[in-house]
Amino acid sequence: MIHDSIIRDRLVTGDKTAADVTRDIARPILNKPSTSWKIGFTLSVVFLGIFVASLFYTLWTGIGVWNINKSVMWGWDITNFVFWVGIGHAGTLISAVLLLFRQKWRMSINRSAEAMTIFAVICAAMFPVFHMGRVWVGYWALPLPNGFGSLWVNFNSPLLWDVFAISTYFSVSLLFWYIGLIPDIATIRDKVKGKTEKALYGFFSMGWTGSTRTWARYELVSLILAGLSTPLVLSVHTIVSTDFATSVVPGWHTTIFPPYFVAGAIFSGFGMVATLLVVARKVMNYENYITIGHLDAMTKIIMVTGSIVGIAYLTEFFIAWYSGVEYEQYAFTNRAFGPYWWAYWSMMSCNLIAPQVFWFRWARTTPWFIFIMSIVVNVGMWFERFVIIVTSLHRDYLPSSWVMYAGSLTEIGLFLGTFGIFFTCFFLFAKYLPVINMAEVKSILRNRE
Amino acid sequence: MGILDKNLSLRNRNKMVVGVWEDEDSLVAATSELVHNGVKIHDIYTPYPVHGLDRIIGVRRSKLARVAFFCAMTGFTLVTTMIWYMYVHDWPMNIGNKPVRFTPSWAPVMFEGTVLCTAFGMAFFFFWRNRLVHGIKNELLDDRQTDDRSVIAVEITESADQNSILGTMKKHNPVELKEFHNGVNTTIK
Repeated sequence: MIHDSIIRDRLVTGDKTAADVTRDIARPILNKPSTSWKIGFTLSVVFLGIFVASLFYTLWTGIGVWNINKSVMWGWDITNFVFWVGIGHAGTLISAVLLLFRQKWRMSINRSAEAMTIFAVICAAMFPVFHMGRVWVGYWALPLPNGFGSLWVNFNSPLLWDVFAISTYFSVSLLFWYIGLIPDIATIRDKVKGKTEKALYGFFSMGWTGSTRTWARYELVSLILAGLSTPLVLSVHTIVSTDFATSVVPGWHTTIFPPYFVAGAIFSGFGMVATLLVVARKVMNYENYITIGHLDAMTKIIMVTGSIVGIAYLTEFFIAWYSGVEYEQYAFTNRAFGPYWWAYWSMMSCNLIAPQVFWFRWARTTPWFIFIMSIVVNVGMWFERFVIIVTSLHRDYLPSSWVMYAGSLTEIGLFLGTFGIFFTCFFLFAKYLPVINMAEVKSILRNRE
Repeated sequence: MGILDKNLSLRNRNKMVVGVWEDEDSLVAATSELVHNGVKIHDIYTPYPVHGLDRIIGVRRSKLARVAFFCAMTGFTLVTTMIWYMYVHDWPMNIGNKPVRFTPSWAPVMFEGTVLCTAFGMAFFFFWRNRLVHGIKNELLDDRQTDDRSVIAVEITESADQNSILGTMKKHNPVELKEFHNGVNTTIK
């Protein structure tokens, strides 16, 4: 028996009908781009240009244009890699984990979060690929026969696990995103007027008609893909954490890394989702679809995951002291009170202390404040990776190899440039594909139990 | 039974009676009454998933979960065999004197390979079963069936009484009643 819920708040406000949903969400696709879109897109392309220029300089001159050295052999590049992979995690969490838990509020935000995953993984992949130096032999990372130049790959290495994990994560996320898009692409196909647009959307809609038989199987496929993506998303950042945890570097060699990295990834991912959606709901007039209730739910997740990450920071310190290993103890004292103290305390302030403000309802329901906090979270999570990587490497067992490290202009340019890649992709997505899942949102208009 | 669901194509069909609704409750009520009267509904087209409709018109539960399990087993076997062949059989590498035989360090790659094969294998069979192909011509009974309208399509066979079907549909306030034959829609109401 189906009832209209009298307890729960409506997930879509404004008494929208199915036709209203199509009209509102397809508006940017069916009309000419707005001025705000043009300004945002141009700015993104400028940053994309910075990426291309920095990359060209790196490839032309050599990897020496980065400030990494024999002690700090991983610097901004791997910091940025982990930062972007982490951001990608919220998309899969929203689409897969929240689907398994039947959280219907995810329906307004899952599409853009999944898109964010894909674009973030593209940005992430840039760093290890170009850190190889000789990028033209990058295919040696794949399991190809010895005759192709390298030996078979080393299956005991976490770096190889990364190759499999990131490529599987990217492919499965793309598939999940595309399958979710098919019904909406069909809706756009039946709305656009131009011959080319009709042919393009027709091609990608794969002849979708909305048959009940297809919907039944579609929902089953979505459920199974969600079931697959859930352990996948946990495995990816677990594997990224083993890049560090399987080494013998003090500060890295800890078993807390996998859960701590996964929580951090969800935390930073939700930070970026909040950044994007607070702006998108205002600029694209989606306030009835991405409501204050959605922001409230997202900020609660930010607060919980931020607290988990904070406990992990404190646990690391405790374990270093409790282990009695002087190298571990030194690594953590050096993090907090050594030359990179400013990075450590930025991390602690942004990730552990700042999100506690979300205990207050005002903070969870005020969009401009959430936007500022989401930026704080992103800055904090970048510093977390910087702290883990640089402060652990810059002083090792041998004082003669102690060095200081700061990113070169090229490294900074590459990092800023990846925001260009990310936002260029996101603006194109917002112009040509529905940012909100129309079919799913139509199914929750009646607020039924 | 072939993999492709032939019910999904509208080509080479008898005349069809088509009812169009905007309200979900009326659509479900009309479907239930038609089925109760012994009418065999060809298909229902909706812009969003309406839960339970498939059961009412007698669509059997999909076997895609079993397909997914089969793909998972295939992926697991292929990846495990690949690692064993490369790492143990063809060119054993001594790195830090670590063992080359089966170890837990194989697990991440085995897991990722299994997930990859399951996801793509299942998606391939899903597309095949549902006649979802790039570039295929879409066959719509109503221009707004992917927007805000739902459509019930009943194929008129010798045993079906068209007037009785139309009468039942009319009772549930459709926005439109049509006949569809040889790719042409003719409005009745």
